[in-house]
Order: sequence, then structure tokens, then C-alpha cells
Amino acid sequence: MTQAFRINNGGLVNREKKLSFKFNGKSYFGYEGDTLASALLANGVHLVGRSFKYHRPRGFFGAGVDEPYAIVQLYRNGETEPNIKATEQELFEGLEAKSVNCWPSVNFDIGAINNFLKIFLPAGFYYKTFMWPKSFWYRIYEPFIRKAAGLGVASTKHDNERYEHKYEYCDLLIAGSGPSGLSSAYAAAKNGAKVILAEDKPRFGGSLLTSDVNIGNQSGKDWAEGIIAELKTMPNVLIKNRSQIFGYYDHNMLVMSEKVSDHLPSTKKYHPNKRLWYIRAKEVLISSGSIERPIVFGNNDTPGVMLSSAAKEYLKVYGVLVGRKPLVFTNNDSGYETAIEFKKHGVDPVVLDTRKNPVSEIIDEAKNLGINIKNSYVVVAAQGYKKVKSADIASISEDKKQLGEIENLQCDCICVSGFWTPTIHLASQSGNKTKFKEEIDAFVPGVSKQNETTLGAANGVFTLDETLKTSFKAGSELSKKLTEKDYEIAIPNVVEKKSSQHDKFWCVPLPKGKNYKRFLDFQNDVAVSDIEIALREGYRSIEHVKRYTTLGMATDQGKTSNLNGLQLVSEIENKVVPAVGHTTFRPPYTPVSIGAIVGREVGKHSKPTRKSPMHEWHEKNNAVFVDAGVWLRPRYYKRGDENLFEASKREAKNVRSNVGVCDVTTLGKIDIKGPDSAELLNRVYTNAWLKLPVGKARYGVMLREDGIVMDDGTTTRISENHYHMTTTTAQAANVLSHLEYYLQLVWPELNVNVVSTTEQWAGAAIAGPKSRDLLQKLFPNSDVSNEGLPFMGYMEGDLFGAKARIFRISFSGELAYEVNVESDYGNLMWEKILEVGEEFNIQPYGTEALSTLRIEMGHVAGSELDGRTIPYDNALEGLVSKKKDFIGKRSLQRSAFTAEDRQRIVGVVPLDKQTSIPEGSHLVKDDKAQLPNPKLGHISASCWSVEYDNPFSLAIMKDGKNMIGQKLFAMSPLKNKVIPVEIVSSHYVDPKGERVRS
Amino acid sequence: MLYINCPHCGMRSQNEFSYGGDASVKRPELNKEVSDQEWDDFVYNRKSLRGKHLELWQHISGCRQWIKVERDTATHEIFRTFKADEEVA
Amino acid sequence: MQKYSIFNLVKNAFSNHENWDLAWKDPTPKEEYDVVIIGGGGHGLATAYYLAKEHNITNVAIIEKGWIGGGNVGRNTTIIRSNYMHDENGLFSEFGMDLWRKMSQDLNYNVMFSPRGIINLAHSDAQMNAYARRGNSMRLNGIDAVLLNREQVREIIPMADFSENVRFPIFGGLMQPSAGTARHDAVAWGYARQADSMGVDIIQNCEVTGFDVVAGKIKGIRTSRGNIKAKKVGICVAGSTNILAEKLNMTLPIETHLLQACVSEPVKPVLDNVVTFGAGHFYVSQSDKGEMVMGGDLDGYNSYAQRGNLPTLQHVLTEGIAMMPFLSKLKMLRTWGGIMDMSMDGSPIIDKTHIEGLYLNCGWCYGGFKATPASGWTFAHTIAQDRVHELNAGYSLNRFSTGNLIDEKGLGTKTWIS
Repeated sequence: MTQAFRINNGGLVNREKKLSFKFNGKSYFGYEGDTLASALLANGVHLVGRSFKYHRPRGFFGAGVDEPYAIVQLYRNGETEPNIKATEQELFEGLEAKSVNCWPSVNFDIGAINNFLKIFLPAGFYYKTFMWPKSFWYRIYEPFIRKAAGLGVASTKHDNERYEHKYEYCDLLIAGSGPSGLSSAYAAAKNGAKVILAEDKPRFGGSLLTSDVNIGNQSGKDWAEGIIAELKTMPNVLIKNRSQIFGYYDHNMLVMSEKVSDHLPSTKKYHPNKRLWYIRAKEVLISSGSIERPIVFGNNDTPGVMLSSAAKEYLKVYGVLVGRKPLVFTNNDSGYETAIEFKKHGVDPVVLDTRKNPVSEIIDEAKNLGINIKNSYVVVAAQGYKKVKSADIASISEDKKQLGEIENLQCDCICVSGFWTPTIHLASQSGNKTKFKEEIDAFVPGVSKQNETTLGAANGVFTLDETLKTSFKAGSELSKKLTEKDYEIAIPNVVEKKSSQHDKFWCVPLPKGKNYKRFLDFQNDVAVSDIEIALREGYRSIEHVKRYTTLGMATDQGKTSNLNGLQLVSEIENKVVPAVGHTTFRPPYTPVSIGAIVGREVGKHSKPTRKSPMHEWHEKNNAVFVDAGVWLRPRYYKRGDENLFEASKREAKNVRSNVGVCDVTTLGKIDIKGPDSAELLNRVYTNAWLKLPVGKARYGVMLREDGIVMDDGTTTRISENHYHMTTTTAQAANVLSHLEYYLQLVWPELNVNVVSTTEQWAGAAIAGPKSRDLLQKLFPNSDVSNEGLPFMGYMEGDLFGAKARIFRISFSGELAYEVNVESDYGNLMWEKILEVGEEFNIQPYGTEALSTLRIEMGHVAGSELDGRTIPYDNALEGLVSKKKDFIGKRSLQRSAFTAEDRQRIVGVVPLDKQTSIPEGSHLVKDDKAQLPNPKLGHISASCWSVEYDNPFSLAIMKDGKNMIGQKLFAMSPLKNKVIPVEIVSSHYVDPKGERVRS
Repeated sequence: MLYINCPHCGMRSQNEFSYGGDASVKRPELNKEVSDQEWDDFVYNRKSLRGKHLELWQHISGCRQWIKVERDTATHEIFRTFKADEEVA
Repeated sequence: MQKYSIFNLVKNAFSNHENWDLAWKDPTPKEEYDVVIIGGGGHGLATAYYLAKEHNITNVAIIEKGWIGGGNVGRNTTIIRSNYMHDENGLFSEFGMDLWRKMSQDLNYNVMFSPRGIINLAHSDAQMNAYARRGNSMRLNGIDAVLLNREQVREIIPMADFSENVRFPIFGGLMQPSAGTARHDAVAWGYARQADSMGVDIIQNCEVTGFDVVAGKIKGIRTSRGNIKAKKVGICVAGSTNILAEKLNMTLPIETHLLQACVSEPVKPVLDNVVTFGAGHFYVSQSDKGEMVMGGDLDGYNSYAQRGNLPTLQHVLTEGIAMMPFLSKLKMLRTWGGIMDMSMDGSPIIDKTHIEGLYLNCGWCYGGFKATPASGWTFAHTIAQDRVHELNAGYSLNRFSTGNLIDEKGLGTKTWIS
């Protein structure tokens, strides 16, 4: 198929390299350097999709980031991506794309029936109907609406692409490589500043690529190429194309998305698809240019109606004619540039200028070329359904209210220019309060809020001469401040055709008896009449208008519609535009890939994984792991066909009858040193610490200031001024910060230092009646007898050459020890324990057996210390000192905390001694009571008691103290279970604690 | 992302810090009689206004020092930072 | 008042929709009202509506600093649920669910309440147990709840990450089938339209600058549009509560923080339910327009900056992809921040105050939107009767002094840790 609309030469595409691609299943050719949009237009394809609401035909409106229409589904390298703007997608060999939001095809779309019903579907119609019958909204109407809405189709496959993040610092970050970006970058670079210049398009140069200007005796384009070439050689300059700075965040941090691979058929090995840059800049220069505004007229959404600047870009950059019978409709001189460009390529345009008698160089040039110009003329409506066939035009009165006779003019495209809107998004995002500039009917940045400076068209400066002067100056001065260098630059001469004023005209009135839809927002189908309804119904704030009509909320984020919307509201409300206000610009400037935002933290790497030094041993020995925060811990060691229940029962039983070993490395460990260490502990824990002798450990509970238990653990006095604190795995980091808070801010007079040693020590708990015998064999030179190392005693020992700390502490309720060695010796310790322990029938045990052991002992853990309980609730009030003050003590006086019937931990046993009580069940008096059924407490932890061989649970229940002996029901409606139970003491095994002391 | 001047380390990005709330709250002294109101004011009640806010941050992935930061809660502008023991004038 | 219906829509179509009435008027404030509600958000508008409807009090003004519905009712992720563990929260929210179910008909405004179900994913047995505790509590309170195992979750949301390459595998989830979403703006507008039709004055662009309190009794308010006398005043300005409290010399157990949310570009229906991630803070649903509506974390420091923050969103979206990897291929379209009243136990306050005739409705944390009808209903009752209803008795201001906390998460006073 020939590219019928490609001119024979001209444009910046590489005609040597033909690329084949498919659109809606049909094959076409384009050239390297094309976008999908330019390649389709070269092939005469104007129908690309359907609109959101009425499913009206959609073509191309722009040539870049502002595109509201040309949204396609892209297929690349076996993957698919929805909502790609054809104007931004570079062509590559084998590209495939399809239209979205149409069925069965873009040519014949059933949804287009909405277009015929459109008088019944004004703004907000859905708020007024679909309410009867009541259940129909969710069942009938909504599913229908959902199906009709949405654009492309999301793939539910995993994304195989890789995305990277990069952090950068620079002196000047420059957003946009048009005339102001290039000149400021050049000036700053010459002063030796570290410069990053970002351009969202593949080609640098911005408007210089398409404008007919001269800079320093070269064409604008050649001048730009020269500057770029020089910047590329400078070591202090980083220039990036295909890189969109989309967000200006706090403290001059900007974020840029670089498309690394989207223009290639597939991502190269070791390359990311996109790269996200977090850039902290000392100064930010916003040279993001401006976007042409449409003029609003009847059926102005018909394919073939497009921005005049886009038509020019397709011609000058891509060598593509958007039509052979173009009509240019303009209120300023920009339209003439497009018309002249057409004429130069042998196409005769007609220009309709809303102005009565504009005078300027460029208009003279157009006249000299013999271009047909009609002044005081407007397009009333486009005619044609899937493509513009003609235009209804008319003269317009000076007050712009009266239309003359309607004439019909044959044309195949309408190129519209309603003047220019500065791209002020980044400035506004930085906190800059923008101001309305009457002369250009648009907002420009006001006083800088962060270190941002806006230049050129983005600042409402539309002459090249002034743009270059101010930009060279800004680049030079801002960099001078930082580098203290002052390189003098001769500002080049500029030849630019002077232009005249634009006409403050943006919307063509409706002719009598006609009710054309005049669209403001092309993707969301928001027309002038919709805004009128919203205002008529009292939705008068611009935010109400926006929300009620969805104006500016499509994927183009209102780049071509916001200002016209504001104009309309100001006209109807009879207010000036700034009084109507404008919706604040928020990042992102343009939609950003979520994959790029997330970067490499996906899959297994979405959060870090912490492993103990013995992890590999556990893996080799069939450990089944469980996540404990970000740690992985062995839950049980599977033997044969055992399940969790069987394995954990075996492991727990072996602890009770022989000896077991458990990896406790994950417990938080904090080294505490200094003469006031005991005083600190005394203030942090609820119990007394001043008299703990050297070589002794003590169990302690610490509270938050609100009286709730924060954590528990043992702390050991290693030497006179040296303590070793352990915390739970979950709270390790919080406890350290907590101690540092009090030491640095509240009690700076305490001479204490704290540091985390969690990762310095590997820990093994050895528990069971035979643990002492084993310990003696491990440490043959130490006296580990009951006298030599009594309960809560501590000593140091030599473990096959490794220095070890031995604590006689117990979580399982058995005679037990904990051995710590430096992490590097963790494996040695572990293997020796198992080797030496073999004769005592040692088995490793996991967290599940550990739970069983602690539950039947009535020891509390995370499921009881859940951030809602006080010491009394956990039967720990014995550890609460009445004599001294400590963190959170005052809160314990509160009435609910001292209530007679305060909740308290109890034990729960099923009456049948058979049925396990699911954790999370609730205790009730009457299982058949009416709902809501009063709950007396909940089951916090359940196990199979290996001591008594029946189920046993812990519960936190109201008035637990007086509930022992009560017969209640444990209910789990989720699992359809009602279990008759008896409340018993939480200390189910060895209530006197004799074993740990044996 | 905020850019915080740690008085010990210099300018660092916010992700090295963890937040610690209102720095104007003073803990009642230990072993002192405290009324319910005073205690609630310490534990629960906060002004949390729009505008200047003196607050605590800990340079948790750096020097681990708690510092005081004077910041605007609407614009996030940071005016001054202080060491833990520095008096805020 | 014009009735909204398909018949009226067709009828108006033939007159070019030129005959629709104002949804609400734009009155100038009167000198005195029986009740002034400060805050034209969802809760304030609902309060005015129920004052008129349930208590026949219609000499009411709503005073709004900006435009109605511009606060959190227009800046949330539209989730409606009653899946709470504590009785106070569960029973209150379930009462609200009933109001949601009939809201479109009650207000004659389609708020698009859509009971598409919410699933809280669990990633460990411990979390399954915690969810069981919550779900059983819900069931015993008469609220629907289902505990799903991994396979059951997979059947409903197969696009969640069930692969091997996952950091926190899905163990199962807690589902409340009757939970869902609604069109947030419509809720504000629907309440406003009905309140207006019953005589309530909706006064926009009117900032409260002070209060007139004499001998412990409220007498009126001062505003940018003059003084307004009032027999009773209800404060309903979550997100700005601390600012008004200062004008009353009150210090509240509330901090003001920013919650981040964003939407993706619209795509064809792919996700039918609301889903939350269990190994972090991320939730997602798909709007009727096709956008994936996503939210999660607080910025983590006191804030009134109503704007998106990429580092926080990066964190949120990382969890999003961990839960549903396909989100990676979508694009983030809009981001925003909502200012939250973060109370010190995560639950709200609806109560009288020490000033006679002054009532307080605040502290909604992340849960304000779904509470809109129940909050309005109980607040109206509290104001009209000068006593709390049993549904909001737990939401007292003095529960912090007494220790009767309602802490669903067990995080305590560090409100910035979400």
C-alpha cells in the first residue's frame, strides 16, 4: 500500500528505512522516525477510535502529548498495553495497534447508538435516572455502563518488562529543548554548571523544528542542531530525549520518565523499558512551551478537524499531508504558517480568519502566495461523519454575535488555531500562584514559589527574540550564582516574521435553528451545552462544573479544553476568567507508567527478605518457612508426609520429653551501655531494675505512654554498665527508636548508649528436660549446673572455639537456655548443637511448636500483645511496680483500665476435649441469642496441648478474673462452628513454673 | 520528597528519616503528680495547625539522632532545624 | 421540587434541557438560625438533611468555606463497608449500610451505590486469624462476612498474584459481599439538593472566623460574610477540625495528615470488587468510568498540603503491583491528597462539647466517606435531642480520658503510622 499522503521529500523521517506495521489488522508502511499517528495519516487513515460517551468517530487532533483522540491498544513483543497515544508512539518494525472503545469495529460501532440518543444523555444524566427499580442499578444499568466506558483493555498478565530508578542532583534542570531550553542550557553549561536538559519528544528543538525563523544566519532548526551537538560534547551536561518531566515536587525534586525502549520492537537485553529519574535540582528552568488552543464550533470533533500546529508538524517533521483540500480556521497569525506550508507543497488552502483586517508580514506573504483568505469568517460546523467532507462557513459580525449567510465549502480537513496556551503545569505544581494575562487570554506563572523560572512560550512570551534574550540571561545568571563563572555569550540575531494581535474569539455561535454539538473536551464528549446545563442547575463553582460534566478529566487531562471551558463559564456567569479560577495543576503532567513508578521492587523483591545465618541449614532440612515481618522463620521441619499439625505436635512433644532447638536469631537485640543503664531500664520497663546483679537476666514489659503494652523480653546484665536487651521480632526497630527518643529528648541527662545488635548475634534456644545435659556437653569447661547457672542466670562460654553467651531463660516453660554466638559462627553453633544433641534425641522445632509450647504455658505473645491490652489483661500486673514511675504508668489509672470487670487472659478448653477452637472465635453465653449477640471475649491463640493431648486456647475476655469455671460457647460463624467450652486458668501446664527452675 | 538539613549530617532526603510528631509536647516529669488534663494533653491532645509546626524527626538511616524541624504544614517549607538539645528560640 | 426520573429526562430533552431547576439555591445568610452546621461536606450536608427530615428542624444553615463537596467527600476512594471488629464501629457502620442501600431513592438522586464486595487479602495464618476475629465479630453483630481460602480468592480475583514469584503469597481473605462503592460527588449533591428543598440554606464561599460563646453557651458564629446567630452549632469539618478548635481554645486528640490516592487511565472492566492488600496499605477498585481507583498511605507527617506526593505513591503502587501485577502496565492519570483528621485511636468523635449548644463531629481518619449517612443521621440526632444516640455513644470525646478506646488497628497515638 502506498503512502498516498506522504509528500515526495521533506520532513525529518528516514526514508531509507521502511517499517511495516498493522492497524486494526490491516498492513501499512511508514518510515523510521514516524509516529504511529504520522504513519497512519501518511496512509490516509483518519478514523482511529471512538469517543468515551457518544462513541463518535475520532481521528487525530494534535501531534503530541496533548492528544485527546488517537488512543489505541498497542501490541508489542507479545504483550499489550492500553491507552497509547498514537501521536506519541514512535513507529517500529512490526508494530501492531487497534482501535479502542468500539465494537465490533471502529467503522461500525454499536455504541454509536449513543450518538443518536445524545439529547437524552446530557451532562449528569445518570444522576437523574437508573434509580428504579432499586436493585437494577447494580444488576442491570451499571454493568452496561461499565462495559461501555473505559478505553483500552488491560492485560491481566504479569508485566515482563523491567523498570529502573535513578537519582540525580544537578545545578540546573531544564524542562524542554525548544528555543528557551536550548539557550538557557547553553548559557548555564558554558558557566560550568551541571545541567540536565530533558525533552519529551524523540527530537530536540521544540518549536524550532517547525517554525520558519532564522537565528544567527541559520535556520532555527540548524541553529538548534548546532547547540545540541555542542551540549552533547560537554561533560557537565546531560541531555535526554524521550524524557518527560511530569512532576515538580517538594524542595525542588522533580521526577522524569524516560522511555528507553518504547520505540523499539522489543526491549534489549539488560535494558529497562522505562527509567524513572528523581532529580533534585538547585534551579529549575521551565521551558515547556505552549499548546495551541482550539476554536469551538459545530461538530468540531469530526475526524479531519485538528490543530493547525499539528498539521504543520505532520508536514514539516514527517512529510505528511493531513489533507489535500485544507481549510485553515484561525484567530491569529499561526494559522498562516500552516497555510503557507501547505501552499509550498502545492496544496491550496483556504484561510478563514476571524479578524476583520489583520496586518502582518506573514499575512502579506500568504497573500503574495495567492492564498485564498476570508476575513471575518468562521467555520460554523464541520460536515461529514467519519471524516470532514465540507464545512459550513459564514461571515461573522464585528461583535462576534451574528452569523452571515451559511455557505458550504468543500474541504477534507479543518486546521484550527485559537492562539496559544502556555504550558504552566510544572510551575503550578511547584506552588506558583499563576495569574491571568489578558493579552494572551491565558494563565502564566506568577511569583516563583520554589527555585523555578519559567521561560519563553511557557511564560507567555511568544516572540523568539525576547525568548532567546531572556533565556540566555536566565541560564547565565542562575548558573553564575552557583559556579561563580561568567562566560560571555553573544546573543544571536533573530529573523522572525512579526505578527499581529490575536482575536479574543474562541467559540462560534450556533446558527438559528441548528443544534450542533460544539465540543470542549473531545475525549469525554463534553460540549458547550453540557456546561450550560451544569451552570443552569447551580453547579457553578468551576470544580462543580468539572465534576458534573467531567470536563478536563480524560487522559489528555484537559490540555486543549480547560481554558475554553473557563472562557465559557466566565461568559455565562458574566465574570472575568481569573474570578472563575482554574483547577490547580497536579502531577503528573501526562499519564505515567505505574511500572516505572514502582521500579525494581516487584515480585519477590517487593519488600526485603531477612534470613538468619542458619537459613540454608533450615532449607536443606525441609523447613517450611513463615513470614515474620520481613524475616523468614522455619515454621516446622517436615518429615515424610507430615502436615503442619502433625509436625508441630511432634516437635513440641519432643521439647517436653527430650530436647529441641529453635532458631531465635530474629529476636531484636539491643546493646545498652553506660553508667545510667539501670536507671534507663527502670524507667522503660514496668518492673524494678536497679538491683539486677551482674550475670542475671530479668523479664520485663514496656508500655507506650498510653498504658498499652508495647513489647516484652528479657534483659541481661552482662557487666557493671553493660546490658543486653531482647525484644520481639516485630517490635525490634520500634523499641530502639523508643529508647533513643527518651535518651536524646526526654532524659538527655542519662549517660547511656544504645545500639542494635540484632544482626550481630545468631541465637539458638535449647529447650527440654535434657537441655542441661546437652549444654554441659557443648560447654564441657563451664559449670552449667542448677547452681552454676540458675534460672535467669547468664554466663559466657567457649563453643568449639567460638565465644558464646549462654542465658538460662525460657519461653517454652521447660528447662531451657539460649545460646548466642557472633553471626558468622551461627552455622557452627547450630550444627554442633544438633550433632552433640543427637544422643538426647534432639529435634529442631519451628515457630508453630514454639507457639504450642508458649500457649499451654499461658505465656503471652503478639496475638495477646496486640496494641490494645495493658499488663493486667495479660496477667502481668505482678510486674507492674507500685513504687517507682515508668513510661505509661500514669495512663494505667484510667477508669476503664481499672474497672472491676476489666478484660483478662484466660484458658479455654472444649468440653469434648476433641474439637479445636479456631483462632478468632468469640466467646458468648448463648449461642442462639438474637444478633447482635454480646461477645464476652475472643480466642487469641489455639494449640493442641501436647502435655494433655487435647485442644487448648487462650482468650482475652471481659471480667476474665471471675470467669474461671464458666461454661460458655466459642463461636466461629465464619467456619460454622459452635463449640461448648469451659474457662480455665491461662497457666494450663506447670502453673507454678517449677520446670524452668528445675 | 522533603529535603531535610540534619544538623549532624547535612542535607538529606526525607526517606532517611522517620517522623516523630509535635516537638512542642513536653513529657511531665517522672514521679510528679499530674492531673488528668495535663496527662491527656501530653498523651493525646495536639494543636496540629496549618502553618509553622515544630516537629521531631529521627535520622534513622543516618546518624540516628532525633532532631527538631520547623516546617510549614501547608507548603512544607522548612525554615530551621535543630539538634535535640538545642533550644528553639 | 422537580423529580428526577427517566420520564422527566425525556421530557426535558425536548426542551433542550433548558427547564431544569437549580439543584440548590445560593441564598445570602439570614441573621439567625436554629442550627448552623459548619462544613458543607458530605457529613455536614447529611446532617442538615436528617435534621430536616427526621427532626423537622429546617431553619438550618450550612456554612461552607469553599464549594460544597469540595473536601474529603470529593477526594476519597469511594469505598463503603462495615467490616469492623469493634462493636461501636460495626453497629454504627452497619446502620449506615442500610441508609446507603436506599439512598438513591431516598434522595431522588442516583448516587450509584454499588455493592460489589470488599476483599481484605491475608498473607499469613496469623493474619487469617486476625481476620477471623474481625469477621466473626461482624457476623455476631449481624454483618455479612465470609472467610475465603486461597482458591476461593483466586476464583473471584484471578488477576491477583498467585504466582511463585511473590514475596507475600495470598493465604485467603475476609470478604464483606455487601460492601461496595458509590459516586462520591453525587452523595454530596444529592444531600444538598434535598436539604435545600426542605428549607436549609446552603451558604458557600463563607469562612468561619470565630465563635460567640457567652457563659459557656454558644450564641453564634462569625464569618467572612458577617455574624450569624445560632441556637446550636455543629462542627463538621474533618480535615480542618484543628483549625476551628483553635478558635474555640480547644485542643483535640486529633492530628491532621494527608492521605495519598490516585487513579489510572480508564480501561475496560477488569476488576469487579474492592480489594485491599494485607502486607501493607493498598486498596483498589475500578470506577464505572474504568479508572482503577487506588489509595493507601499517609505522607507520614502533619500536613495540610492537599496534593499528591510521588514517593508516597511509589510506596503505595509498589504494594499495588505486589498484589496485582497487571497494574504495572497501566498509567497513573491523576493523583491527589485528602486531609485527614487522624484521631488518637483511629475512630471518630460525634459528641457534645463542654460548650452548651456546640457539637463536634470529627476524627474520621480514612473512614469518613462510608460513614456519611450514619454520621449525618446520628449527628442530627445528637444536635436535635441534645444527647447522643446509642449508635454514637462510643464515639465520645472523653473516651481518651477514661480509656474506653476503640482502636481497630492497635497502633495507638502515632497517628502518622498508617
